[in-house]
Amino acid sequence: MRRIVVVGGSIAALTAAESLRAGGFDGQVTVVSEEPHQPYSRVPLSKGVLAGREPAKSALLPAPGEDIEFRTGARAVRLDVRGRTVTLADGTEVPYDGLVVATGARARRLTGGSDLVVRTLDDAEALASRLATARSAIVLGGGFLGMEVATTCRALGLEVTVVDLVPPLLRLLGPWLADLAVAAARDHGIRVRVAPDGVTVVGEHRVRCGESVLEADVIVCAVGDVPNTDWLRDSGLPLDAGGGLVADACCRVAPGVVAAGDVVSREGRRTPHWTNAVEQGRAAAAGLLEGASARPYRPDPYFWTEQCGLDIKISGELPLTGPPDILAGSVNDRSALLRWRHDGGAATAVAVNHRLPVIKLKRLGAGVPAPAPART
Amino acid sequence: MSRILVDFDRCEGHGLCEQTAPEVFRLDDEGELHLTREEVAPEDERAVAAAVRVCPVAALKVRP
Ligand SMILES: Cc1cc2nc3c(=O)[nH]c(=O)nc-3n(C[C@H](O)[C@H](O)[C@H](O)COP(=O)(O)OP(=O)(O)OC[C@H]3O[C@@H](n4cnc5c(N)ncnc54)[C@H](O)[C@@H]3O)c2cc1C
Ligand code: SF4
Repeated sequence: MRRIVVVGGSIAALTAAESLRAGGFDGQVTVVSEEPHQPYSRVPLSKGVLAGREPAKSALLPAPGEDIEFRTGARAVRLDVRGRTVTLADGTEVPYDGLVVATGARARRLTGGSDLVVRTLDDAEALASRLATARSAIVLGGGFLGMEVATTCRALGLEVTVVDLVPPLLRLLGPWLADLAVAAARDHGIRVRVAPDGVTVVGEHRVRCGESVLEADVIVCAVGDVPNTDWLRDSGLPLDAGGGLVADACCRVAPGVVAAGDVVSREGRRTPHWTNAVEQGRAAAAGLLEGASARPYRPDPYFWTEQCGLDIKISGELPLTGPPDILAGSVNDRSALLRWRHDGGAATAVAVNHRLPVIKLKRLGAGVPAPAPART
Repeated sequence: MSRILVDFDRCEGHGLCEQTAPEVFRLDDEGELHLTREEVAPEDERAVAAAVRVCPVAALKVRP
């Protein structure tokens, strides 16, 4: 292998590119990224950056090393797996010996292009400027992202209503923890509207839920994400029903092709979270360099969210059924260390407003991940 | 030599930096981050850059 091309420009792509170098690859590494920006973290976009507490540039991540070519504003539009070529939007053909697909996901939209969403730096800046003059907001979608955006809107003094087809966070967290979070949201002054019969956006300021119509200055759409695999449609690579790129336990997709991050579907589902993108970025590099002898990686299910005055850190599989054991603190005070035991001996540990080294949380929950290699 | 800067207001104690470059980043029993050294030796540069990058809240910076 002389040339490896990484398509994508965020944490999975960068981690894979750097891990190729750390793994001893001394050929050419080229990263092609659609966005005009240097790489940045999306995590603060729904939190400090949206609230205006932190400047957008505080989310920037260190640029890759000088021995990695990083092209911005370069969108891949087609892949020829046989000819081992990626075609860019401007018609340039980029040949490769090895390919890393790390094109992540984009915000799902309900009405087309004009929805306000929070996925990119530009989205967050556009929304922040709208929120600055708004008095009320409707947030469509009660997942992690929707609840974080609602919290930020509330902190800015807006009246906020979260609207979803199902109770917020229920599918993600399970009933016990979802109830706790929704109670905190209500105490925070966030209204929650469950509309099982459907939600329709009927204009820039209006949403219909069943019989009633809600109005607000700003409507934010946080209804999930869609993997960026349109450019792979004709490539013959395996996509699942939701468009996720199917990869094995070593992140391999096809000979010479690996994938990492939000774009990946593994064991029938995507895991669109930061830690997963890092772990898979490393594993994908190893999968490409070591081929059949690569070690399957062990996923580290670690999730967190900050919303409605709750700082929640989770180690272990979700969602959770039944009530937890309370290992420390008090649920009434909303400061506690909790654990759910699952059949077969596994467990999920959750810290709610409870400071604890993550390593200890992981010991109580999913277990301590295998020590990372010293570099990348 | 370049220096590592930690924005302790941002740090959430996720510990990904420690997992990536354990010889430089350490979380104590309270979940507080400590640096075993603030200056980055040339041979550590890449590992430190990788640790800075995996921090999900961009709490770490390296100043040349
Ligand atoms: C607002 C927000 C808050 C979040 N908060 C948390 C959190 O608190 N905790 C958590 O664990 N996770 C959080 N996440 C999720 C986390 O950010 C993602 O899991 C992570 O960004 C995935 O990284 P990735 O590199 O796989 O994909 P992405 O970050 O989606 O990056 C994909 C990259 O590929 C580029 N690209 C796409 N298509 C093409 C193409 N055709 N050609 C070239 N380049 C292309 C894109 O421009 C982008 O740069 C949050 C996400 C958002 C949006
Ligand atoms: S990865 Fe970032 S948030 Fe986590 S301990 Fe290190 S500096 Fe703090």
